[in-house]
Amino acid sequence: MNTELLLVASLLALAVPVIFALAAVVIAAGAGRVGVVATVAAGVAVAVAAGCAGACGFVSGVKSGVRVDAVTAVMVMVVTIVGLVVVRFSRTSLQRDPGFRRAMVALLALLAAVCTVVIVNNLWVMAAAWTVMSLPMHQLLMFYRHRPQAILVAHKKFITARLADVCIWSGVALISTTVGSADLDVIAVWLDTHPLTTSLEVAAVLVVFAAALRSAQLPFHGWLMQVMEAPTPVSALLHAGVVNIGGFLMIRMAPLMVQVPAAQLLLVIIGTVTAVVAVLVMTTRVSIKVMLAWSTCAQMGFMLVECGLGMWHLALLHLAAHSFYKAHAFLSASSTVELWKVKDLAAVRAPASMRRFAVTLLVAVVVAGITVGTDPTPARVTLALLLAFSVVPLLASIKGDRISVMFTVVQGAGLMLLYVGGHALAERVVAVVPAPAPVVSWIVLAMGLVVLFVFQILLTRRPLGAFARAMQPRLFAGFHLDERFTRLTFRVWPPRLPAPTVAVTLTTLTGES
Amino acid sequence: MNLPCAPRSTISLTPLNTTTAAAINTACAQIAPTWPLDRFIAVNPFWSHIDTPFVDVARSLSSLSGAQLLMPRAWFREQKKAGHFTDAHLQEALRLCGSSRTLAELLAVLSTERPAPAVRARVTDVVDASRDLVHEVSWRDHVIHSISQFCAAFFDEGQAQCGPARDGGLYASWHRQLSGDRAPELLCGLNTQTAATTLPSSAAAMIAEGLATLKISADDEVDYLESLLLEVNGWASWCAYRRFMARLEGADDDAIVELLAIRLAWEVMVFRSAGTAIAARWTLAMAGWRSSDDHAARAIDDDDVFLRAIELAYQKQIAAQLPSGLSTPRPTPRVQAAFCIDVRSEVIRRALESQQADVQTLGFAGFFGLPVDYRSIGAATARPQLPGLLAPRLHLVDTGVDDVAADRAARLQHKSVWGAVKTAPSSTFAFVEAFGLVSLAGLIADSFGWSKRTRTDDEGLSAEAARRRKPRLSLVDVDERADLAAGILRSMSLTRDFARIVLLAGHGSDTRNNAHAAGLDCGACCGQTGEVNARAVAALLNDPAVRAALVSRGIHITDTTHFLGGLHNTTTDDISLFDLDELPTTHQPDLAHLRAVIAVAGGRARHERAPSLGLHRAQHDLHKAVRKRTSDWAEMRAEWGLANNASFIVGPREHCQHIDLDGRAFLHDYRADEDEGFAVLEAIMTAPMVVTHWINFQYYASAVDNVRYGSGNKVLHNVVGGHLGVFEGNGGDLRIGLPWQSLHDGEQFVHQPLRLSVFIEAPTTAIDGVLAKHAHVRQLVDNGWLHLLQVDAATRQVQARGPTSWTAFV
Repeated sequence: MNTELLLVASLLALAVPVIFALAAVVIAAGAGRVGVVATVAAGVAVAVAAGCAGACGFVSGVKSGVRVDAVTAVMVMVVTIVGLVVVRFSRTSLQRDPGFRRAMVALLALLAAVCTVVIVNNLWVMAAAWTVMSLPMHQLLMFYRHRPQAILVAHKKFITARLADVCIWSGVALISTTVGSADLDVIAVWLDTHPLTTSLEVAAVLVVFAAALRSAQLPFHGWLMQVMEAPTPVSALLHAGVVNIGGFLMIRMAPLMVQVPAAQLLLVIIGTVTAVVAVLVMTTRVSIKVMLAWSTCAQMGFMLVECGLGMWHLALLHLAAHSFYKAHAFLSASSTVELWKVKDLAAVRAPASMRRFAVTLLVAVVVAGITVGTDPTPARVTLALLLAFSVVPLLASIKGDRISVMFTVVQGAGLMLLYVGGHALAERVVAVVPAPAPVVSWIVLAMGLVVLFVFQILLTRRPLGAFARAMQPRLFAGFHLDERFTRLTFRVWPPRLPAPTVAVTLTTLTGES
Repeated sequence: MNLPCAPRSTISLTPLNTTTAAAINTACAQIAPTWPLDRFIAVNPFWSHIDTPFVDVARSLSSLSGAQLLMPRAWFREQKKAGHFTDAHLQEALRLCGSSRTLAELLAVLSTERPAPAVRARVTDVVDASRDLVHEVSWRDHVIHSISQFCAAFFDEGQAQCGPARDGGLYASWHRQLSGDRAPELLCGLNTQTAATTLPSSAAAMIAEGLATLKISADDEVDYLESLLLEVNGWASWCAYRRFMARLEGADDDAIVELLAIRLAWEVMVFRSAGTAIAARWTLAMAGWRSSDDHAARAIDDDDVFLRAIELAYQKQIAAQLPSGLSTPRPTPRVQAAFCIDVRSEVIRRALESQQADVQTLGFAGFFGLPVDYRSIGAATARPQLPGLLAPRLHLVDTGVDDVAADRAARLQHKSVWGAVKTAPSSTFAFVEAFGLVSLAGLIADSFGWSKRTRTDDEGLSAEAARRRKPRLSLVDVDERADLAAGILRSMSLTRDFARIVLLAGHGSDTRNNAHAAGLDCGACCGQTGEVNARAVAALLNDPAVRAALVSRGIHITDTTHFLGGLHNTTTDDISLFDLDELPTTHQPDLAHLRAVIAVAGGRARHERAPSLGLHRAQHDLHKAVRKRTSDWAEMRAEWGLANNASFIVGPREHCQHIDLDGRAFLHDYRADEDEGFAVLEAIMTAPMVVTHWINFQYYASAVDNVRYGSGNKVLHNVVGGHLGVFEGNGGDLRIGLPWQSLHDGEQFVHQPLRLSVFIEAPTTAIDGVLAKHAHVRQLVDNGWLHLLQVDAATRQVQARGPTSWTAFV
């Protein structure tokens, strides 16, 4: 029974990328109506993925080169659902665009590649699909080829992707030569029975870099910030279904990662710095899509921190939750004006006094301390701190009226309950690999959170103070990290930008008439 | 919600010599305002240029910025091939345009392409010319991007949580951050740290120093400064809007001057960093400005004749049909239905009239003459519900729901607090983990169009309270109310023979996830729906005290007449009716009749519009298909708005009722024989005619040069500052005007860009009287920004107003 179910699950999983790839081929060949083929394929993919996920609830293991487990189940569901929504959106919004067919082919090919990465057991296959992903992505980023910005972005993305390729391919090569196999299940068993070698430590670090590069961590984030040069549904897919693949890689590599504390710590540091810097930069962004992009960058950083802390289940929860949240946010970006209109109807509310803020913070920290209580592990302390910081601004803004009290209590409690409930759910779904992260990793994150909180208070409550005056321009400039990367790009491997279209009269300079 | 707002800045130009100060003022006055997205009303972007002939403006703007004010010749060739004009039209257009060309010569021009524009070089262009732009970011792009990002941050009204220190105004704030801006050094090799210290600290001084450093001659000052503003035309238009609104309130705003100073500062910085050779090259470039002007003059070679020929062909089509209209007004009908002058009303009005169901329709500006703003219950702010050119004088408020005011205010306030929690740095990570999975429900619902849309006015209200709410005029004095009512009825030419039911139908669109949604709503209501105006006017005219007071003003409305407020949904062609609880029982049969008639009319209108929406006329569920588009968040063309507008007909409806105007005509009812002293004519020609011209030219400009006067591709739109406007993609200048998808269906233009043809049924002497009195209206006509035609009341023969006189139009 179990082996049969395992086979069914593996075949269903295999079918998902095949469906996307077939649809891409059919559309590229000019057969059928583009929108219909793509939508039907994406719909069937969701159904098949659901079947696969259902089967994964009962069995786990490896069959037909497919890993059947909770991670596969969650990932195929996330990618196919986001895929269906994005395909439907594109079908309507791009239907009359001259590049409609081209866009659909690239979207479906990208989905096929992502789904392949997600299900396979063999690292070589995964690395190959990982590299292949960047081809349709390049097509999508270059969808409007006449836009110099689009060319520059695609070029930066191309360079980052190649760096990530070098990291992942050499990492996989090191692993497979050391272990003698590139199959994840074999590697896991080998790691349990053999002492760690230097080559594997190096491999772990390389894989961390591959993940960081693909997840647009600082300072390789520039391309992700500028993907609004591609159509809205493309931005949505990249931000919700593709950029998180770095986190997925870490989760898959968990058996290796837990053995290499240095790689784990590196991940925590990269992720924390990115999360803190990116989320602060986000607060200065002036357009909705760029704001969302910096938010993605920060969220990916946070997800990698969770990986580095060995909280694989939380990383997977974060990945899935962020995908749905960000897909929705991007696709509905043009509703910003509606939201603004509602905001504009509300009376300006004086912000809570600093004193009140401090009291609320104190209460929240004390309550968090009591909750942590008798078992103050670094994990519990840090997560309690995170939750306390999250609800303080909401609680501090409470007013005496019935509505305000009601909503604040409901939403504050809702936030905490859903947060804790989500964690519990994730723990049940994903069999947690015991991974005692060193205290120093938790301290890095906790410090990051404190910095974040202090900066937020100073920037938003003392906007004309010396700190905000000095800090805002730096944040607004994103610390010029992307400009440095761009300059390096121009020096090392320049993109070919189209010549300017507007001719200025310099006839007397060139001597022409 | 604490919305930051850029301070209003006023700067003194007194340190400057008078010619420079005048040049600055003139250059800044060349930029037309642009309204924010939540009030996205149409503007003629060339409004400040109407004192100059259209073709000359086309030439000068081509040289100053590369703008194209005429369609490419390939498009004119297609139009000719499609039969939209003939050689005969060309021949006549040649004569009307005063061209000395022969038809053969003109046809030869038509078969060639117009040369690419040559643009007057600025310092950034001169320096760029010697840089490798295939491998480097151009100064031009960098400066636009840099200024645009800074302006967005400075003017932001609700996007960023943390903005720049705004004290001292735009220029001071920009100057403070300049020394920390490393981007120019990293990308283009300019150290702003040193450059910033050499720049003056005030905008006025900056402009003076810039003009001196660059040795701009006094003759060139205005053109040069204007060409700098046109480089950042989007933000210049935003600053012009701030100035326009400030002046409407009797104040002023000089942000546009400061923007000019910032752009000029970049010129100076780039100039100083470009080495010693630049001075000579710049002198040469300035010497080349005239040749750029000459190039533009040659390039636009009778292209306006092609445009004129299409317009002639269109005008003749209408003129030929006018004489066969009804000549006697019909007896009082059972229903009178007044709609906005909007071109979309023409379709539904024809559908109503064609049923022979005793329905008469009227056309009037969709704010129904109420100079008001509207504050919904519990709201902290009021929004204008009148044309953008006017300041509100009276107020509309919600009545009947005072009990929920505090509740709604608190809900609205809390909503924005919760919105801030989502994105605040300290809470956003936990928020995603807590609510991310929950948002899957919203993602699916929105994808399949299942989610219900709450209109802004209903936000924070229960469904019951939303139904109970009645927007009414807060004015109490009966005499003032009666004066207002009399004025409205006179402007509508509706002062006698009232039907049993008089429907006042405002209009509004119904689209989802559309940053430019307000552009599809009623322009006369400042980009809002006309619902509240229609309901308030109906209530005003039903008020027994007002009716009693109207008698002494010569207007008799009896108890047999009931006014009804309604809303024409231009996306679905449904018409909703309001305040039916106030309808007397005696009128219930009339209501049933009206409902049946509007249901049929909606069907006919949808049937007529179906092909343009890519739907089949024969499909049985057309109504459902059209409605589905209103809830589709991916739909880029839920409706075509005012696309293809081309004419404005002012006169009694029965005289043009027989013509299928194809949704291209604005219609305003007017009866010259009842207009004492032609006061109503004057009002129509100075207000609705100007507004229709603005709409016409918003479409025109967006079509002929979408890069400069349109907002580009909707799938790339990126809303800036909460509501200020959009970027196309990542950055670049703020985009004004209409999206590409509002003009073009992917294969061809749905909007045929023609200048407005205004047909007025009034004596020529009366029309001339208005022209003589109002310079800007006269300029519109004399300089070719619109065409004015007169319809003779008796014969319906048409005369066109030429440069000097009226000539018969055959």
